[in-house]
Amino acid sequence: MLAEERRRRLSAAMRQAGIGHMVLYGNAWQGDYLRYGTGFGILEGHGVALLGADGDVELFLDSATDAERAELETAQVKVQLAPDIARTVGARLDRVANARIAAAPRRFLPRWLADATRTFKLDDATALLDKLLMHKSAEEVAAVRRAAQIADAAYVEFLHAVRPGRRQYEIVADIEAHLRRIGCPDNFMIIGSGGKDVFGMTPPSERRIAAGDLVTTELTPAVEGYFAQICRTLVVGKATAAQRRAFAVYVEALEAGIVAVRPGARAADVAKAENDVFRKYGLGEYTTSQWTRVRGHGMGMFADSKPHILEDVNTVLEPGMTLIVHPNTYHPDAGYIVLGDALVVTETGAEVFCRTPRELFEVAA
Amino acid sequence: MRRGLIARSAVELPDAVFDARLDRVRRAMRTAELDALVVYTNNTRPAGVSWLAGFVPYWSEAVLVVPREGGLYLVAALSFRVKSWIERVSRLADVLHAPRIGLQAAQQIAAVRADAAVGVVDFDGLPAGIAEDLREGGPRLALRDASALFAPLRATADPAEIALAAKAAAIAHRALAAARGDDLNGMIAGVESEARQLGAEEIYIAAAPDLARDARFRRIEGEAAGGKTFALRATVAYKGTWVRLVRSWCDGAMVHEATARFAQAVAALPSGRGFAGFGSWLVEGCRLTQSLDPLMGSRLDGHAAPPPGALVSVQAALARDGGTVLLGAPALIGQPGEAASLIVDPLHD
Repeated sequence: MLAEERRRRLSAAMRQAGIGHMVLYGNAWQGDYLRYGTGFGILEGHGVALLGADGDVELFLDSATDAERAELETAQVKVQLAPDIARTVGARLDRVANARIAAAPRRFLPRWLADATRTFKLDDATALLDKLLMHKSAEEVAAVRRAAQIADAAYVEFLHAVRPGRRQYEIVADIEAHLRRIGCPDNFMIIGSGGKDVFGMTPPSERRIAAGDLVTTELTPAVEGYFAQICRTLVVGKATAAQRRAFAVYVEALEAGIVAVRPGARAADVAKAENDVFRKYGLGEYTTSQWTRVRGHGMGMFADSKPHILEDVNTVLEPGMTLIVHPNTYHPDAGYIVLGDALVVTETGAEVFCRTPRELFEVAA
Repeated sequence: MRRGLIARSAVELPDAVFDARLDRVRRAMRTAELDALVVYTNNTRPAGVSWLAGFVPYWSEAVLVVPREGGLYLVAALSFRVKSWIERVSRLADVLHAPRIGLQAAQQIAAVRADAAVGVVDFDGLPAGIAEDLREGGPRLALRDASALFAPLRATADPAEIALAAKAAAIAHRALAAARGDDLNGMIAGVESEARQLGAEEIYIAAAPDLARDARFRRIEGEAAGGKTFALRATVAYKGTWVRLVRSWCDGAMVHEATARFAQAVAALPSGRGFAGFGSWLVEGCRLTQSLDPLMGSRLDGHAAPPPGALVSVQAALARDGGTVLLGAPALIGQPGEAASLIVDPLHD
């Protein structure tokens, strides 16, 4: 079981660091730390878990609905409904205040819990958890791989769903329904459509798809809490020569980024390999934060995990780290284009999970 | 992570609605001698900021600053590239982008008055990192909890919010009616599709796949095997307003009888006496920034009775000889002397 394996790894890390009790916080946005220690995918309210070095896990939730769900969806976890979660957890921590207690991610904890006037002191264990979250076991990698297969299949659905006249949110509805039909409970997805007036992706709007649109999406389904992402761009109708020329830059940049992925390389090396392709074509400006956020990121229990692939991030890549490489950015001749594949760092380089061709797809106008 | 429709409608939420809400908040701020109010939002705690400015983050986090005078501004961790999207879906005077939103917000407030009195809604629950950044960005700011100021204003629904809840409930009802077929995964997909096609901002679907074995709801991952009797729950958001609706598939007469008892029990709210005889029950509603906080119920030691005019979502389980029926629907708490009322028919015939 993945949850048990993760808990064993966490307990070992706590013992090594001399931590007696670990406090993990989560909510529906940043739920990975909590899920790592409890196996619970939180949807509503706050969740705080207390893990003992002996492996005991107590999970406090302030949503009654999620507390009921946690009772069914977790194993070997003591679930407690705690409407005043900070004070309930605080009272529990008072009982172990003599031990060394650490918390992750500490900056997200309710302020009351982290206040210096409490009887207990919470060290920051975010880096310790980040390391565990980034370095995945073979079973965790297998979950990301399965999620990538689901992403590939969902993109085929996406190609069928995009038709002139349909609104963006109707397209996303089709994809979400497909994912529920195959038993996939979670997905992160944003979308863009239009021409050179579009500078990025957002949640779906009421905008209708039109002939000639570039339609971009990031599709990110999860398997057992592990997300894998695919990024692709399509044209409604026939792609223009300018769109094809622009897209070729992204294919070259993605391939360069993937070649740069190997043990010992830094996240910065991957970003530089992608960005150098844009610079080669005089498009260096479009690799800056004015036009793009990141050139990829970690994949795992959070859809936007560490490390971020940026030229100033020096995290060293190691086997078992799962990433997406995506040189997504604006192109002055075509508009916003995305292209990205999920992969795992292997002993010799990278194994790419996504199987969807790296092409500028065309759908009927 | 929201992936439904996030859009602003001047028909459903006209400027006058936001102005009226803001007037009430500013009156309370003046009484409390606050120079500014800070409200935090992420996709777990959107209900304060969406109520004041219409903004719902699909991802990441932000703080809304309400100065005692002048326009509302949002400090968002989302990148500058989505500024135009935020402006389209919200009613804000300005949007600032910063990785440390607490620091930026405090600096903005302190630039007007270094020792300003600043109220923070749900100060105890504010992420610790943001609280520390507020102090760093405005060392002389007097920060204090403004939950008691904000809660009574936020808890009572105005006609616009009631209309949004009714729309959310109608979406949930039509979505649950779209649960057809023989396999539970296909039924869930039908609910998901219908809700999103109708413009839901978000939908969470939970199932009690076999009521004869367990009457609790869970999220389905993988292939779900349903029993003879089962239930689905749709939690639907529409333009920042959340409701829950439950549909049970079991003996029709039993469902009708249980629904009638449920409606009677809801009518007696905020008294919980009508739920005597139910196996379990729960009333949820917005207190500060979470959309569906637990307020009253069989699992809660104490309770925070919803005030007159509050929107709530109610769930209950009723055991009968023939099995268990799960029930749930949104309701509006009546004014003193008035009954509470369901805002959608929980029955699906």
